[in-house]
Amino acid sequence: MAKQNIELIVNGDRYQLTVEPSRMLVDVLREDLGLTGTKIGCAQGDCGACTVLMDGVSVSSCLTLAVEAHQRDITTIEGLAASPQDLHPLQEAFVQHGAVQCGYCSPGMILSAKHLLDHNPKPSEEEIRQGLSGNLCRCTGYNKIVEAIGDAAEKMAASGKEG
Amino acid sequence: MKTPSIIGQSIPRLDGPAKVTGRALYTNDLSLPGMLYGKLLRSPLAHAKITRIDVSRAKALPGVKDVITGADIPQVKYGNWRLVPQSQDEMALAVDKVRFVGDEVAAVCAIDADTAQRALELIEVEYEELPVILSVEEATAEGAALVHDESEGNVSLVRKIDYGDLEAMFAKADYIREDTFKVHPVQHAYMEPCSCLAASEEGDRVSLWTSTQTPYIVQCLLASTLGLPENNVRVMKVQVGGGFGGKMELRPWEFCASFMSLRTGRPVKFTLTRADELAFGRRRHAMSIYSKVGFSKDGKLLAKDFQVMLDGGAYNAMGPTATFLCGTFGNMLYNYPAYRYFGRHVYTNKPPASAMRGFGAPQAAFAAETQMNMVAEELGIDPIDLRLMNAMQTGDVIPDVATISSCGFKESLEKVRQISGWDEKRGNPKPGKGLGIGCFSFISGGVFNWFNTKYNFSAAEVKVFEDGTAQLATMACDIGQGPDTVLRQILAAELGIPIDKIRLISMDTATTPKADLGTWGSRVTLMNGNAIIEAAGKIKDMLRPVLFSELDLNQIHDVAFEDERVFVRANPKKGMGFAECVYKALRGREGEPLTARGYYTPRNKGLVSPAFSFGAQVAEVEVDTGTGLIRVEKMYTAHDCGVPINKMSVEGQLEGAIQMGLGYALMENLIMDDKGRTLNTTFLDYKMPTAEDMPPGESADVITYEPEGPYGAKEAGEGLAIPTAPAITHAVHQATGYRCMETPITPEKVLRALGKIK
Amino acid sequence: MALPNFQVHQPKTVEEVLDLLGRHRSSVKLLCGGTDLLIKMRSGAQAPEHLVSLNRVAGLKTISYAAGDGLVIGGAARISQVGKNPDVQRLYPGLAHACSVMATVQIRNMGTVAGNLVNAAPSADTAAPLLAYGASLVAVERGGRRQIKLTDFFTGPGLTVLEPGEMVEAIRVPDPPPRTGSCYLRLSARSKVDIAAVGVAGFINLDLSGKVIRCRLALGSVAPTPVRCPEAEAMLEGQDPGPELIARAAAACVRTSRPIDDLRATASYRRAMVQELAQRVLTQSLAMARGGGS
Repeated sequence: MAKQNIELIVNGDRYQLTVEPSRMLVDVLREDLGLTGTKIGCAQGDCGACTVLMDGVSVSSCLTLAVEAHQRDITTIEGLAASPQDLHPLQEAFVQHGAVQCGYCSPGMILSAKHLLDHNPKPSEEEIRQGLSGNLCRCTGYNKIVEAIGDAAEKMAASGKEG
Repeated sequence: MKTPSIIGQSIPRLDGPAKVTGRALYTNDLSLPGMLYGKLLRSPLAHAKITRIDVSRAKALPGVKDVITGADIPQVKYGNWRLVPQSQDEMALAVDKVRFVGDEVAAVCAIDADTAQRALELIEVEYEELPVILSVEEATAEGAALVHDESEGNVSLVRKIDYGDLEAMFAKADYIREDTFKVHPVQHAYMEPCSCLAASEEGDRVSLWTSTQTPYIVQCLLASTLGLPENNVRVMKVQVGGGFGGKMELRPWEFCASFMSLRTGRPVKFTLTRADELAFGRRRHAMSIYSKVGFSKDGKLLAKDFQVMLDGGAYNAMGPTATFLCGTFGNMLYNYPAYRYFGRHVYTNKPPASAMRGFGAPQAAFAAETQMNMVAEELGIDPIDLRLMNAMQTGDVIPDVATISSCGFKESLEKVRQISGWDEKRGNPKPGKGLGIGCFSFISGGVFNWFNTKYNFSAAEVKVFEDGTAQLATMACDIGQGPDTVLRQILAAELGIPIDKIRLISMDTATTPKADLGTWGSRVTLMNGNAIIEAAGKIKDMLRPVLFSELDLNQIHDVAFEDERVFVRANPKKGMGFAECVYKALRGREGEPLTARGYYTPRNKGLVSPAFSFGAQVAEVEVDTGTGLIRVEKMYTAHDCGVPINKMSVEGQLEGAIQMGLGYALMENLIMDDKGRTLNTTFLDYKMPTAEDMPPGESADVITYEPEGPYGAKEAGEGLAIPTAPAITHAVHQATGYRCMETPITPEKVLRALGKIK
Repeated sequence: MALPNFQVHQPKTVEEVLDLLGRHRSSVKLLCGGTDLLIKMRSGAQAPEHLVSLNRVAGLKTISYAAGDGLVIGGAARISQVGKNPDVQRLYPGLAHACSVMATVQIRNMGTVAGNLVNAAPSADTAAPLLAYGASLVAVERGGRRQIKLTDFFTGPGLTVLEPGEMVEAIRVPDPPPRTGSCYLRLSARSKVDIAAVGVAGFINLDLSGKVIRCRLALGSVAPTPVRCPEAEAMLEGQDPGPELIARAAAACVRTSRPIDDLRATASYRRAMVQELAQRVLTQSLAMARGGGS
């Protein structure tokens, strides 16, 4: 079948690509764009490791065809920090609270948290847990992740900083 | 000497920023020019003879660069127990016979993954089916088919422990009970599926990046199976996305990638899928456990007879160690005048079980702790009191096994009683609610040299430079648990310099000092920490003379290394900067850098471990008696991990362990049909707890000083994975009257026990 | 593992969609969230040569409510959109609940309610509440448009009455009258990332004297398709149910169910749970209806 020309807008950068229609967004991000921060944990939409934001909404990039992402605004974990010295409040909170161990779930976890805070800047603990229910973690037991997100939400509210 | 202030601090992981920005690299993120993609053909049958394999059509497919079967590879078996060569029972690709659904039969590599997949489909294999054995009972029955011809009765290994006069003690006992328990298999479910990338080098040398927790073991076994000198194989790791015991052996894809890379001259990468992991991956042993205990009427433990059959699956893997440790942890917590253990590791036609966080201890403790709670009830003694009466203490000796050099078990019991509100809550029981207890002990690294290494168990190389920085090179392996940070904390404490001035060179078998047995058995902090302290001590020996000669010190003075200074302890003003001291020391060395190596191997520490952790945990649950659903409301833990080096890391281990223990008790299970095929091969159906399932926790550290540990530290990684399942089991019993003797606890089993389902 | 190859069409209007469905009739599937379809394609269970994406079709994502007319859910409306819609939360709490607990956040952001129905899994979480609310589907094809009652829609696991060439343009749900109560309860061993082992939805409308005018009960995961429970509904209509009648009606639901043993639960557990959940759903719905909730 014919390849399709697409334009991906990833972290503000525009990429012109020619892809087979059967390719998944996660594979194009990782293999064609070298953005390996998006992880593959199950390739079935169950674990959340491949979560990216598409037009501001969290989606599983392992179940998204790359051609369907044509001209959509995609944020991956690489697009969250302005620079290594200037982490997003969520990233900073994950580091400081010990919410990261092996780190494999962290990119997806952080983007799910961003989706949550973008839509609900002051979530309760229960809402945070619900917001993370599509992201599996095997190391931390989640509690430090929940704390980190609560702390980041407070700091973002205090500084008036947008997610 | 006072403990340096960096010890015990919650220093955030140093690799944290790279991990939260997506910059951290894992094996599957690596690629090399010209890289080929590897795939494995696996057996669809649990037990069969291979009568024919034809790979010609696969080989002819354009884009396919190599296809191999068991006939193409050196006929060298491997296994982690090198000390017992006959236990080495595995080949990377099956020869003549397959022994479980998923047993690797052939491997291909091609220019892309799709071509490799198509090639697999073109390989023709004919099988002649053999009887399938799926339980230890079938396997050990008279006349059962043999999984391995060499193993009579399908028993691959027997472990016996026997001390005290068992018969006499049972005769003395006022109260005896016998129970049988069954525990089910669960999986590590590390988030990063296994992946490796091999690249051949000049000559017949090969480099392998792999997601492993034991690079040295992979190096040695890869060399022997490839028929190459050990020095021709270089194993490296980048970040590893969790292991929990599931990544501590040579695995077929590591062999196949290396072998095919040598044959094709091109890099070869393999990455498993989640379905591969769940259906064919290593797992925690299912076990059948018989336990008989004898007590005096006032609650004194007299004797225990503990008989276990481990369902090992098709190959030994780390099963022999689990068989040993299951016996050790059948009796580790309490003083038994007489104890007998008879453990058998049994082959079945299932994916091999192996090491998994706790290594035989979670199963042993599920049975032992559940039985302890049953005894307490029968004798009318509070379960915590019964434990206090029999608890192990510092200085206690387990015959032929170990002397306990530090033990905070009794304190842990008292603490957990207090923080959980044990006495009040048990005094006022509420319908549907329950409180239960489970306890643990665990090793801080193993003494027994099953890998038969000629090298030290841990090693570290420290260099210091005249700019005041240092470099630590070690083969110790961070798979997420945090030694890359904790070990630098130890070195920072030793040298008195900030942690961010220490560069880490880790996990490259060619450049880091030999050896390190890897991350398992909760050994890294204690063993590698000690190696670092020895190396740092040698560095300090090189620096101290500078101070003595510069300041004309009397030999009785003690020199301190703190706050980036080297100074006279009795008179801190007398001293110099650390950097200056290094600079001056270098002056007298004819250009030779300041480098030192330190090593650690436990010697004269019994058979099992140089140190033991202890702890107690209370689970508080609520059961919906209409649906049988169980909600764990809170977990209370008091544990003795010696002196914690990094408090936040210890908490992280505790909370992660509770997630695993909760999943083990209530949700996770690998379900198999009668042909040995795993049915739940997605995370939708292999249910591990989500953020919403996790209860809050409260914990108390019981600080003991472990004389064998660096700064008094001992393990905090695996022990905590042990008590959760028995504590939840007990709590569910208190809430409903349902006592789980066969894990996992399901809503249905609860309702059956309540008589709501017939 | 990559998918077998196919062509993706990205039309902008419903007319174009219908044209494409007609043209590639022999091997075509609609793609919207893709959360079920792409998994089936990866496993080889489906291998269409053409996918027609609804993601760029204007107007299909709308969710609208008008008093008297009820709720209209566009064929491409996301599950999460439906779950968060204030009218849905206020008037169709059972549907709102299903849409906020099923699958994962990400899957709910991608998947559609129409897709959940068309996929026709016995466990489809939105099906039981929509059956209880008396929903219908608006199906369109090149020749015209028809309304299909959801009760007539499912014909077996993965099977519906939808013709090749037809697509679900919208889901219509009647306006609940005053003195209505409704809810949906589901059970699974884990909080999330799960497929319900049992789901029960209920809808009860009372008259001024407190008698049941209309009752609809629906079950998920306990039969080859999501099902209504006519026997139980008939037992309740015209009555002012107390605990004893509720228990008998729940027992009638159990008789309607045809559960199987599978990975997630045994048939006997499912039967017991139909009884338990049906009682809870009825009790809760009645309380809402008696409380005057609309």
